[in-house]
Amino acid sequence: MLAVKCPVCGAEGDETDFHAGGQAHIRRPATHDPAHVTDEEQRNYLFIRINPKGLHFERWRCDRGCGKWFHAARDTVTMEFKAFYGVTELPPADVIAQAKGQWAEYFANRLTSESKA
Amino acid sequence: MSELSYQSPLAGVAEPQGLSISIREIDERGMIDLRGLTSDAGFMAAVKGVIGVGLPVKPRTSASWGDVKVLWLSTDQWLILSSRARAHELLSQLRDALQGYHSLAVDVSDMRAIIRLEGDGCREVIMKGTSLDLLDPEYVQGCCRRMRYAEIAALLDVVEDNVFDIYVFRSFAHYTWNFLCATAKAPAKLKLFGAQEVPA
Repeated sequence: MLAVKCPVCGAEGDETDFHAGGQAHIRRPATHDPAHVTDEEQRNYLFIRINPKGLHFERWRCDRGCGKWFHAARDTVTMEFKAFYGVTELPPADVIAQAKGQWAEYFANRLTSESKA
Repeated sequence: MSELSYQSPLAGVAEPQGLSISIREIDERGMIDLRGLTSDAGFMAAVKGVIGVGLPVKPRTSASWGDVKVLWLSTDQWLILSSRARAHELLSQLRDALQGYHSLAVDVSDMRAIIRLEGDGCREVIMKGTSLDLLDPEYVQGCCRRMRYAEIAALLDVVEDNVFDIYVFRSFAHYTWNFLCATAKAPAKLKLFGAQEVPA
């Protein structure tokens, strides 16, 4: 059983009170640069997902509470949630620091692109 | 042409016998679904001007004024309860007051069925169908929340200490009613503390 807590309304419950919405932080390439979307980018957006052993970032919905979507950082080995944060937000810095592999790469790219913008 | 008339979703169900608590349908209630932003002071004031009480902002709480009661559903959604006869008038007043504000008010009086549970042991009966811990001090008068009840979506309103209203979508009315009648049977009464009475 997972112990989930909604960061929007504070409702706590197990996974049956919430709805898992898959991987978080997926960005639709056409939203950012509609004129130059390659087939590979579109394929990655639609089908390619990260499946890590360890820290993972997911979308969840507070199904039997306020009905809002939010993000969660969860360890896929221990099932422990490291953080719950808003649907438009990035994870807390200390959780980003724990990310490994593809997720570490993702956040590094995201943070550099946002600091440039 | 036949006249459109409201019929209660539980019209004609048999009076339940041998229950440990009292269960009945409430069908005279009007309901208005209201959406808007709490950050919009003009919207909050306009609603208060019509219904007489400020919208509850704290999650899982309700507020009431006279015969109008407001249940918190989400950070931007409320359910306004009144008598069925008054809902229409209340809705047109709300729509007038909310003109120009980013908001939505809809009459959903026929959308949900309401079942009222009364009596000692209500909490134990409801807890047979949900993962909520109703013995938590959060669940006192003035608390309301959506929950997963008997595998379906429901809304729970704590009216008084031993009086609860369960709101379910109209098509689930019979299912919920039957589930309640089965779980509230007197021999199936649970005692959470102390020795359990063994039915003869």
